[in-house]
Amino acid sequence: MHRVLLPFEFFEPTTIKEVVELVDGDKVRVLAGGVDLVLKMRRREILPEKVVSLQKVPGLDYVEGNGSAGLKFGALATLTQIEQSEVVMENCALLREAISKIVSVQTKTMGTAIGNLCVATPASDVAPPLYAMGARIKIVGVDAEREIPIEEFFVDAGKTALGPHEIVTEIVVPSLPSGSGGAFMKLSKTAEDIAKVNAAVMVTLADGRCEDARIALGSVAPTPIRAIGAETMMKGQKMDKKTIEEASASAAEAATPISDIRSTAEYRKEMVRILVKDALQEAAARAQA
Amino acid sequence: MGKEIANFIVNGNEYEVIIEPHMLLIDVLRDEMGLMGTKYACGAGDCGSCTVLIDGKPSFSCLTLAVTAKGKNILTIEGMADGTALHPIQQAFVEKGAVQCGFCTPGMVLSTKALLDENSEPTRDDVKTALAGNLCRCTGYVKIVDAVEVAAGTMREGG
Ligand SMILES: Cc1cc2nc3c(=O)[nH]c(=O)nc-3n(C[C@H](O)[C@H](O)[C@H](O)COP(=O)(O)OP(=O)(O)OC[C@H]3O[C@@H](n4cnc5c(N)ncnc54)[C@H](O)[C@@H]3O)c2cc1C
Repeated sequence: MHRVLLPFEFFEPTTIKEVVELVDGDKVRVLAGGVDLVLKMRRREILPEKVVSLQKVPGLDYVEGNGSAGLKFGALATLTQIEQSEVVMENCALLREAISKIVSVQTKTMGTAIGNLCVATPASDVAPPLYAMGARIKIVGVDAEREIPIEEFFVDAGKTALGPHEIVTEIVVPSLPSGSGGAFMKLSKTAEDIAKVNAAVMVTLADGRCEDARIALGSVAPTPIRAIGAETMMKGQKMDKKTIEEASASAAEAATPISDIRSTAEYRKEMVRILVKDALQEAAARAQA
Repeated sequence: MGKEIANFIVNGNEYEVIIEPHMLLIDVLRDEMGLMGTKYACGAGDCGSCTVLIDGKPSFSCLTLAVTAKGKNILTIEGMADGTALHPIQQAFVEKGAVQCGFCTPGMVLSTKALLDENSEPTRDDVKTALAGNLCRCTGYVKIVDAVEVAAGTMREGG
């Protein structure tokens, strides 16, 4: 780790248009909270010629209800803002639960949720709840805007679907049907560390049967993934022990983890089963509450 | 934007410093302003030693570009005492033996300040949550949590 940064040119535009006109892949990078970017520049992993701050663009730090569409937040909404937002508490408790598992206060007061996603680490605690809730990513480029589901945003470890001249401006989280409940589980070496494995699940129940289930896993593939097979097998089933155990075993099969300093692949796979089982139980209890 | 003369407000005082965009806030505080109380340790956000309050929010000064902190209210450990009188948080850390090697202390004190500014009556769990981003390798944290409780009490009584 180097003590100082190498020189770069710095820009603080006040409109998104100016930002996207400047941004250019790794050569010209956007700065949100800077928690990850400054660290990587110090490690010489990214050496941009220019850094373009979003911080002076007004109106990007919102976290707000989106009518019947649910919730939305902007590129400068910090993790703390989202964690403490009443709208999130009411409509998006799963996201709040996941952010609360990031324990470093300074990281959350500086770091944005969208910055966390743009890093595209498979260990993100922010991504799985958004996968489980079917969030969409708003992307703005030089002459066009587009909106994609979060599954399409994560392309590979460290790689997003953003083109060189695009930025993310907003995340939209749809509202949940009644009878829904979610839960997030994170397994890590210490509470401060990033996840060995994490899991976010969302279930919608009617008369004790599973109408819909979404199971998202982190740290077990190059991107966060959904355990589609497990989700499909749950639909229409009674939400009992058998269904939950079969679904969690299937989710473990969907995981393709690696062994690294934090864990072995075998252990990660087994822990997917346990975390998904616990999360489904918790989510079902919350859906019925 | 290259080299510029920038204005900073640190501990209520105005500073005029020549900076470049790649300079980190911690280096401007320590090397340009001589405020050596803010400590550099991990450089990666893991330890919290470099914590300062920017507009009241605990922030890593080692991951903050100085240029983004211009004109904002920055509080460092040097701004805590009132002349020679220690701040109640500092006094409590001394009295409770919450300081051993002392390297984490400035960051701990500032994270504590941010907590007590928002919550004058924190539980021990609130204290642990608020200090989760600050590592101490000496004390085992018990005395730090004790000190924060004492400080909260003193401050509630208007001390
Ligand atoms: C000590 C520590 C502990 C952590 N613990 C966890 C944890 O437990 N779980 C977890 O999930 N994360 C954890 N993190 C990661 C942290 O949440 C992210 O680093 C942070 O949220 C990044 O947000 P930022 O605003 O600082 O992004 P920045 O550093 O400003 O940006 C990150 C990257 O995304 C790009 N970018 C940012 N915003 C946009 C945008 N709007 N459009 C396009 N590109 C953009 C930047 O160019 C840069 O490449 C931890 C980090 C630290 C330092």
